[in-house]
Amino acid sequence: MKKSIKSFFNWDMFLLCVLILEFVIFGMKNQKFLMPRVLLASVNDFIAICIISLFVTFVMITGGIDIQAASIVGLTSIIIGVAWQDGGMNVWAAALLAVVAAALCGALSGFFIAYCNVQAMVITLGGSFLYAGFALLVSNLSATEAYKGISGFPDSFKVISKFKLFGVIPSQLILFAVLTLIAYLLLHKSKYGRSVFLVGINQKAAEYSGINTRLVIMSTYILSAVSAAIAGIMLTSYLGTSKSDLGSNLTLNIITTVVLGGTLSTGGKGSVIGTALASLVIGILRFGLPLCFKVNTQYLDVPVGLLLIVVVVGRAIASSPKTAVFFKRFQKN
Amino acid sequence: MNTIKKLTKAREASSLLFLVVLFAIVGCINSDFLAPSSIMACFNDSVVFTLLAVGMAFAIFIGEIDVSIGSNLGFSAAVVGSMLRDGHSPVLAFATGILIGVLVGLFNGWGVAVLKIPSLIFTLGTNGILRGMIFLYTGGAWVENLPPAFTAYSSKPLVSNLTVYYAVVIAAVIGIHILLTRTKKGKYFIAVGDNEGGATLVGIPAVQTKVLAYVFCGIFASIAGIIYASRIGFITVLAGNGYEMKAVAACVIGGISLTGGLGSVIGAAIGAVIMSSVSRILVFMGFSSDYDNTITGLMLITIVVLDALLQRHSAERIRRERLTNRAANAAQKGGEQA
Repeated sequence: MKKSIKSFFNWDMFLLCVLILEFVIFGMKNQKFLMPRVLLASVNDFIAICIISLFVTFVMITGGIDIQAASIVGLTSIIIGVAWQDGGMNVWAAALLAVVAAALCGALSGFFIAYCNVQAMVITLGGSFLYAGFALLVSNLSATEAYKGISGFPDSFKVISKFKLFGVIPSQLILFAVLTLIAYLLLHKSKYGRSVFLVGINQKAAEYSGINTRLVIMSTYILSAVSAAIAGIMLTSYLGTSKSDLGSNLTLNIITTVVLGGTLSTGGKGSVIGTALASLVIGILRFGLPLCFKVNTQYLDVPVGLLLIVVVVGRAIASSPKTAVFFKRFQKN
Repeated sequence: MNTIKKLTKAREASSLLFLVVLFAIVGCINSDFLAPSSIMACFNDSVVFTLLAVGMAFAIFIGEIDVSIGSNLGFSAAVVGSMLRDGHSPVLAFATGILIGVLVGLFNGWGVAVLKIPSLIFTLGTNGILRGMIFLYTGGAWVENLPPAFTAYSSKPLVSNLTVYYAVVIAAVIGIHILLTRTKKGKYFIAVGDNEGGATLVGIPAVQTKVLAYVFCGIFASIAGIIYASRIGFITVLAGNGYEMKAVAACVIGGISLTGGLGSVIGAAIGAVIMSSVSRILVFMGFSSDYDNTITGLMLITIVVLDALLQRHSAERIRRERLTNRAANAAQKGGEQA
């Protein structure tokens, strides 16, 4: 009985409670918040965080980190625009090209990290410069000035973000659900997922047990880059403009989401469900604060940064031996 | 011990060589670049990055990182700038700015050294909070109309083309280098970064050293913020955004190993000159400054990958030598016994 209670009250449950609490507080403050139309439309604003964090979780479980994903969003967006407008390609072919380019970027960084043993942080830091730079160079290929952005996409492309199932559920939410399912099956129900965990726990042991650890590590960076590309396509379609600096401020949000979702930054532990819930917590926070408490959107880095610090500090204090001793004494009394 | 010293020297020397070769190549393409005033401008313009890189070097020496310095710079610059604008005394304004750096450093040091939270994650959080605080403090407006005496000081030369700022900073860098390499306490930083467990066992207060490293990093970022305000003359809410990444790049280019315990502040200063010259060099080579990010990223990745490959190669060589020696010794002993 006690065990079942313990397994019931885990981190995911806690996140769900926080999410419900957010709904209650924001809903009480501003009735508009709870209108299904408003609430469901809000997904548009933070879908990129949701999608990318799902797959950055993979990277962090292997013990790495990915701070380049945000710059790949902009690269994807501008490639679609330039290939479609100036390259004369079909918009879908352009989107495919963008995904391939993103996968190559991820593979390049992943290769250096996995096969040259360079720290993930430095390479993805360099990558964030490099791919943002590429995006700027690609935008110079276009006849349109960079700051204007490329717009006027065909309706068939715009519709992927405007489509609503049964007239209410936006396509972004469906995409998020599908990707969560895919990520869940991949990480928790497949052989590949087990090897991702094992690489994070002990890379040497994984290597000796016959796993091609370097390939696994590299693949996680490709996955996160492709997810960034998908987010880039969704954002481009939703905004109707392709810009090279799209998503450039996402890094803090993505890392906060993954850490909040219960993934250990040292690797070896984490869950897709946790990340998915955490991304909703952060997304609703970013949506609700401006709507209900009139917080300027420019200040939103403060609550997100605070959340990140509070979570990591709380977890560090909770897991320190001193706290355990303290609670034991408490229990005895 | 001697070999480590030699290696460190070689690392700085190679980045200095890189700087000279880079300038020589640009000079071959466009000889205007090699005019004394142009070369001196490269050095003078690097003053903010030099301060940031030297601060960052402390964090990297101990094997950690501090990505909050960009926002720290912006926040200090905004606070000091607005205090000077409102007519407070410069001493009070500068003291407040440096106090901000100390507090941010203590906070980061507490999280990283005491609570043992991965430094990138913790300082990323601090970065977000500080960036938001700039918005809160300024209300999104620019800090402008700084006193002319303050902004004019940035271009005041000490001798011919050398500005006072850069001269002071270089003197400080050399002083710090001497303190770090010649004094017992100064060597703590490198020792903790090289082998934390070992350093603790020989009685070095590892946690205090780490906190101190973060405090230095914060102070340097604040001073960089004050000089930034003086040089630029106005402070936007995005001042210093992304500078932390360039400071890391400068350290890496200057031969400081990101695994900690290797490198020197002089290397960081040389790296900062290279980093801040990139956009100037691009202009002299006839490229648009849009290539700035691409070149920075390319340089960063190339250098760390080369560094990692060289290190692996040398580790492999040392291991092979050791094994060969051991085998030779064993054979000798076997021969004696027989």
